[in-house]
Formats: sequence, structure tokens, C-alpha cells
Amino acid sequence: MAKFPSVRWFDAVREVFNGDESVQGGGGGYCNCIAGMKVGKDVFVLTFEGVECTEAVKADDAALDDVDFYLDMAPADWREMISNIHSNNGADRHHTLNTLDLEREDGLATSHHGDQYREDLFFRYNQTFQYFFNASARIRTDF
Amino acid sequence: MSEAVDTSGEHELDLSWMDQKGPWDTKAEESRYGLTLADIQIGEYGETPDVSDNLTGRPRGSAPRPGSYRIGNYAVRTKNEIWLDNASFLYEEALQRQWSSATDVPWHTIEPLPDDIEQAECQLATFFTEVEFVAGDVPARWVSETTPDFFEARQVLLAQVMDESRHMDVFRKRAMANGGGLMQATGATSGFVGSIDLSRDFTEMSSRLHLSGEGAVLTMFRMGELMAQNEAEKAMYRLCAQDEARHVAFGVMHMRYMSAAAPERREEIHCYLDEAEGQIVSGVGNPAARGGPVGESLAILLGGGKDKFDEGMNMLTAIRRRQFREYKKRIVSAGFGERFENGRSRLMEMFEEAA
Repeated sequence: MAKFPSVRWFDAVREVFNGDESVQGGGGGYCNCIAGMKVGKDVFVLTFEGVECTEAVKADDAALDDVDFYLDMAPADWREMISNIHSNNGADRHHTLNTLDLEREDGLATSHHGDQYREDLFFRYNQTFQYFFNASARIRTDF
Repeated sequence: MSEAVDTSGEHELDLSWMDQKGPWDTKAEESRYGLTLADIQIGEYGETPDVSDNLTGRPRGSAPRPGSYRIGNYAVRTKNEIWLDNASFLYEEALQRQWSSATDVPWHTIEPLPDDIEQAECQLATFFTEVEFVAGDVPARWVSETTPDFFEARQVLLAQVMDESRHMDVFRKRAMANGGGLMQATGATSGFVGSIDLSRDFTEMSSRLHLSGEGAVLTMFRMGELMAQNEAEKAMYRLCAQDEARHVAFGVMHMRYMSAAAPERREEIHCYLDEAEGQIVSGVGNPAARGGPVGESLAILLGGGKDKFDEGMNMLTAIRRRQFREYKKRIVSAGFGERFENGRSRLMEMFEEAA
């Protein structure tokens, strides 16, 4: 059981994601970017290289200056998304990353630098990020 | 027993071709992602000329063949007309992230829908099938116009053609998968979208296709994922959006390179952007604009039915604001942001008039 949010939780998801070859095809695959995760005041930085998520570290707000984009939601919204993924063995139609992004006035994915080329990586690798969070259905999460 | 035939002198081998070669002793080594195009940019093989005089189809780095015929009348032989710094990377990414419309879309999740929803979805599928014809045809034409010396950019365009081909078939499949079918053609291949194919210059084409056109369609694919009625549509739109974002990346990076390498063409590029903003981005040329079969279909799908059209239209307007913000930031990223500072761009003004 891993508590969300924590490096331990992201590491557990990484292990499932990296070990599942099925997510390396079907629109998944090479993904090279640095993505931030902002859970309320907590910040985590995930590194994606090739077909793997190679690292997850706890960071601070300043680290968000350097990521390509970051996903920003209140803890309750993160909890709802992860619980939904767990209940449905993957996000249902109302809880995919893209849907959550478009339903928010300011979006789910954003950046400090404002460079749309880098922010577009969220769209370019969207299936990979969805696979990543869907992998959390296979771990036990505590909030 | 017959005598052995004397064949001496008839099979002298001419091995002079063995002396005709490009730089030798080349040993490319694979990186952590396999043996990529970036890994074979070694020595002279990795050198691209600023201007190419290669009209014979000679692979870059191979030994020239004196007296060979000209097989290509390549219009694009100046590097800054087509180049981008991350072409090799985008190509490998495109190959690695391919998907199948036959097996990667869970078609079995589609179930009967109310008539108005099915008709709106089929209208949208008809529109996308039309648009993707243009998006496939246009880069294909420019591939054959480009010297083999700039093969990395050509490879990305070829991968784009494959992507667009898949988009054409996936929307056709969707139209026919749930008791509906194709609707009336929207005429999307005429007007501004069709005019992309009239471009006389690659950068003109890229500004219209990759930045303005595909940027707008990217938002529509993302909307498609938002309003999907089942997992099949969800996957279909999400996967198409990924491909489209890669095509947009080509446009942004090409504009960056062009802007730095040929600043004398900046004013010309601004003129293309003026035209695009007046039509496909904020005007009636935008398929997500108010009215018309596509705009109305989007509003019906976003709202959840004909009876919730106004609600859907409000959502569509909100999403179009995001579409504009993203377009604006992409133009800034491409190096042409001054148009939003000096009053040249009337983007938001035009949007408010059209909304």
C-alpha cells in the first residue's frame, strides 16, 4: 500500500508501467519529457525517457520552472481521478487526462515558461501519460 | 564426353565500383533508443548543405555517379525552406508511436446512440475524413519536390502522410460502425483548407497546414475525446490528437529555423499568418466556428443533444478561447510573437466578433 502523493506511490506506479510491454505500442512508446505533478502544495517531477518513466522525485515550486509542463489539481481532484482509475481499471470517459484538462477553465496542464511547443508535449504523449496513470489501478493506494 | 568449354576471358569481373564509395570505416552505434537517425549523423553523412545541387536522387553521402540523369526537378533545394532541427527525433517518434485503427480502438464498446448524437458524430466523421485527405495529399506532394539531401525532413513528412491516411480510415470506420454512415460532404476541401494545396512555397504551406490548420484540428480532436460517447471514440480521438500534435511540432520548429536562418522572410511569414488568422483560426474558415454542419455537430455533442444546443455552444465558445490561446502561444514559440504586441494581429478582436 502506497500513500498518495509520495515518491513511493509514483515509484510503485513506475514499476508497473515500466514492466508492461503492452503500453509501449498502440499509440504509446517513445516519450521524452520532464513532467511536473502538483498536488495542492506538493510537487513531484517525473522523467520520461524512451519507453520508461525513469525517475520520480519530490521537488518544490521552483522545480516547475524547468519541467516541460505540469499537471495541477487540488488534492481532492487528484484523489477522485485516482479512485476512478482504480474502480474502473483505467480512467472512465469522464476522468481521462484530456477530459479533465478541457473541463477546467485554465486547463489541467500548464507551465511557468509558457512555451506552447513544450506544453504541447502533454498532447503529443497523452496516451503514454494515460497509460501511466491507468497503471495505478494495479497498486493499492492509500490517501 | 564433350570437351570442356573454354570460358577464360568471358567472365572478367569489373570491380571498379568497389572503389566508388562514400566515407568508409563508418561504425554507427545504437543509443538507448536503438539505432536512430540521430545515431547515424556521423561525419560527412550528417552534413546537410545550405543549398543542394543534387538533382539525381543521389543518397546524401554516397559517391556521385558522373553523367547520371537528372531524375528530380526538386523545387526545395535551399535548406532553410524546409529544415527543422529535430526532424530525426520527430521521425523516430512517429515510427515508434504508430497505432492501428483496426486493433487499437476498442470498437466493441460502441453501442446504439440517440439519433441526433449519432448523426452529429457521423457528420463530424465525414468532415474529418475530408480534411485528412488534404492533410495527406499536401505533404505527399512536397516530399517529391524536396532534394534527397534533406531526407530527414522528407521522412517526417512521409510519416505524416501515413498518420493522415490512418485518420482518414479511422473516421470512415467510425461513421460506419454504429448504424449510421457518412453524411453530406461539408466542402471542407474548398476554401481556406483547400487553398493550403495552392501554396507555391513550402514555408507558406507549412504555416497554413502545420501551424494554423493542424493546430485547429488538434483542438477539435481533443474536443472529440472530451465528448466521446464510448471508449472507442475516446481512444480514436486521443490517438489522432497525438499524431496531430507531432505535425504541429514540425511547423513550430520549421518556423523557428526559418526565422533564424532567413530573417528577410519574416514579413512574408507574417502575411501568411494574417491570412490564416482571418480565416481558419478565427473566421468562418474555422470548422469549430458558430453555425454550419460541423459547428452545430460539435455543439450537439458537447451539450449532449439537440435540445441542449445552447449549452453545447457555450462550451464550444469556451474551448475555442483555449484554442486561440494555444495558437497564440505556438506563434510566439515559433518566433513571431511580436504580431501580438504591435497590433498587427487582430486575433482576439476577430474572435469576439465571430463568437
